[in-house]
Amino acid sequence: MSDSGRPVRVEAGPALAPHLPTSNDAGVVPTIGPDGERKLMTINLGPQHPSTHGVLRLIVTVDGEQIVHVVPDIGYLHRNFEKIVERWSYPGIVPFSDRNDYIAAITNEVAVALAIEKLAGIEVPPRAVHLRVLFSELQRILSHILFYGTYGLDLGAFTPFLYAFREREWGYTLMEKATGARMLYAYNRVGGLRNDVSDEWLADLAKFLDFVEHKAMPEYMGLLIDNEIFRERTIGVGKLTQEQAIAWGAAGPVLRATGIPWDLRKNAPYLCYDQFEFDVPVGTNGDVYDSTMVRMREILESVRIIRQVLKTLPNGPVLAKVRPTLSPAAGDYYSRVEGPRGEVGVFLISDGTTKPYRLKWRAPTFCHLQLTPLMAAGGKIADLIAVVGSYDVIMGECDR
Amino acid sequence: MNILLAAILKVIGVLMFVGLNAYILIWGERKVSGHIQRRIGPIRVGGPSGIMQSAADILKLMSKEDFVPSGADWWLWVLAPVVSVAPAVLVYLVLPIGRTLVLRNLNVGLVFFSSVSSFTLLGIFMAGWGSNNKYSLLGAMRAGAQLFSYEIPLILSTIGVVMLAGSLTLQRIVAAQTHYGWFIFPQIVGFIVFFVASVAELNRTPFDLAEAESELVAGYFTEYSGMRWAMFAIAEYSNLFTLSALGVTLFLGGWHGPLLPGWVWFVLKSYFLVFVGIWIRWTLPRVRIDQLMDLGWKFLFPVSVLNLLGTGLYLMVR
Amino acid sequence: MALLGRIWNTAKSMFVGHSITLREMFTTPITVFYPEEKPPMERGSRSVPVLKVNEGTGLLNCVSCGLCERSCPPSCIKIEQALDAKGDRQSWPEAFELNLSHCMVCNLCVEACPFDALEMADVVELCSYQVQDLIFDKQQLAEIWKTSRSLRVANGERL
Repeated sequence: MSDSGRPVRVEAGPALAPHLPTSNDAGVVPTIGPDGERKLMTINLGPQHPSTHGVLRLIVTVDGEQIVHVVPDIGYLHRNFEKIVERWSYPGIVPFSDRNDYIAAITNEVAVALAIEKLAGIEVPPRAVHLRVLFSELQRILSHILFYGTYGLDLGAFTPFLYAFREREWGYTLMEKATGARMLYAYNRVGGLRNDVSDEWLADLAKFLDFVEHKAMPEYMGLLIDNEIFRERTIGVGKLTQEQAIAWGAAGPVLRATGIPWDLRKNAPYLCYDQFEFDVPVGTNGDVYDSTMVRMREILESVRIIRQVLKTLPNGPVLAKVRPTLSPAAGDYYSRVEGPRGEVGVFLISDGTTKPYRLKWRAPTFCHLQLTPLMAAGGKIADLIAVVGSYDVIMGECDR
Repeated sequence: MNILLAAILKVIGVLMFVGLNAYILIWGERKVSGHIQRRIGPIRVGGPSGIMQSAADILKLMSKEDFVPSGADWWLWVLAPVVSVAPAVLVYLVLPIGRTLVLRNLNVGLVFFSSVSSFTLLGIFMAGWGSNNKYSLLGAMRAGAQLFSYEIPLILSTIGVVMLAGSLTLQRIVAAQTHYGWFIFPQIVGFIVFFVASVAELNRTPFDLAEAESELVAGYFTEYSGMRWAMFAIAEYSNLFTLSALGVTLFLGGWHGPLLPGWVWFVLKSYFLVFVGIWIRWTLPRVRIDQLMDLGWKFLFPVSVLNLLGTGLYLMVR
Repeated sequence: MALLGRIWNTAKSMFVGHSITLREMFTTPITVFYPEEKPPMERGSRSVPVLKVNEGTGLLNCVSCGLCERSCPPSCIKIEQALDAKGDRQSWPEAFELNLSHCMVCNLCVEACPFDALEMADVVELCSYQVQDLIFDKQQLAEIWKTSRSLRVANGERL
């Protein structure tokens, strides 16, 4: 029980969950236009639709092409992550958290591992800390490259998608070499990393970084981002003010697009980010063009960070000695890391046993989807697709 | 009797060409888009070039269930593919394929072409309205606005050529280009307007709003499958060829060319324009509906009028 | 003037984009012809935990201690210890079942194993139409170990 008397952990039975108004209830979806005369049309965008990035359902009320209201309906990918891990031992949570944000699995693992290590008081070897930074940034590059591809798809350009996958394939092969898996790495352990990487791998990585910076990025910019049609489609669309962004809990590129230089790597440094030099790219208008540009520039910043990691990578072990049955002291800890989409937070409550009492996952996509009615209303249907695409929606972490 | 026989032969010839052309263009689009994206495109069916892929597709589409959505307006829904194929076939009547190779040398060839090709909109609108689907309806509405507004710059841009050639007969326009040289040089503005407007007329990226995959699933033919869907595809690719052919006739010298026979040059030039269209499609993102209307009414329309004015002044002072 | 600038920008960006796609059109495709030509699996790729066979004796290394069973987060391993006629426990498994449809290939069982009995194989073509076909017993797991390349990675060693 928390201080307010509400249970922080639901024990059993659906009776505890109060009935919240859903999008299917009357009154949530308007049917009469603002002048009281015109009938509005309601469209179900999804859960099966070419541009909902998985299984997002948007109940869109339109007046012709004009969007009046949007109700995002989530939960189609619910896997009961938070409840399942209450019955699992601590080391097993780390690989399972891969499934949340499956495009940036390392970020999830780092967030969970940091929380458990903090509660259990485990010291992570410096090489593992550096490698975690390296992998987080490599993951950010790969995630943003995929964003570029899918965003092009959302705006009707098919070719950027396949160009993005060309580089992503190389990056994923690198990941496979290092971690043994292509997407769901299960690479972090409580107390460090599963295995060390070889010097040849680091040399390969340097080549990949050079390719991304000098070959891929100019091509991406030339093909899509600098294209006049793309600029027309995104500049001024989905404008968000700084107050709105903060009030609705936006984070990551969506928040930085409004001009707020909030980056957990700078503002609340974790791992060893305070040792590296990098800039936090910000936008000015808070529209979807700015958040795209923030992501594109973050690729280059990540390249910069990885180069510094490669220079300063210490030698030594990558895994601390950890007892197989881990039972951290009772207490709670909120660990947060800067994922490619925004703040990934893990609130972990331990009651001193070998299983967590409660784990709460803060997913950036979940917070950003609430912004959809705000950012898309008044625009066209095409703008809605551009707005939803600009969050880089991953329904796995939203529904978890 | 002979006239009837000749007419039947011509019709069969045109229909065969329409089918073959759509076949080649679908295969070509897949190949070109594949190579643009550093893929290969179809390779499995019919040897390493995958030339039989479209045949396999036709077999597949023919064997599909004939599905009619519930609540569809049956007559509109069933007739829509036919109505959109019909104008695509009809416009072949006036295309000057070679020096003497034209089915009917109408003296209002250009007017015939533009008026008949406008009927495509009717098919799209019937499909969108008859499907009982909101995506289809939105797609048809978009197509209506789009085709209506781009028809005007398209026709205005051709009038410059007509003024220079002094005739509406497509054969005479081609013949006049021996005198002037290709009309693309004096009418470069007209050509650009014509090309942009024809891409919009064809509903292809960057103007594929009517079928906008990421927004409207498949637009007006969301509910179609099997051969009905294939008829839309045939109409689309046939229109792609005929509008390119019209561009070649008006601006690129038609069947003029050294060495090779006239009709070869005509087909080669047309396929070159088709290639450019495919290339554009696989490069650019899609515009939004209001930007599309802006481009049509606020840019292409005034530019084509100015072009007409310039052409008129030139003809006056000459 | 602003209009001319926009036209110029549009034309320039179109030219850049189209030159990129045209250039890519004449470069070698990167397609891999999958069933005929298989991309190499990287060393240490994980796809399924398998049981290692001792090369000297031809028996499994597994002593049926049950540590992997306990460490497995989704509980996809089931071990049954062998008993002799008197009912005493023996140091080999009577049954070892791995439910691959539950397995998340996290490598924790391999790390938990103190006897070098589990390894990660790199065969990916294990799909099936039936979920029952994805439950492997100890003979099948040993067979996969014999016919594929597998590796034990644990405890932060260098790959």
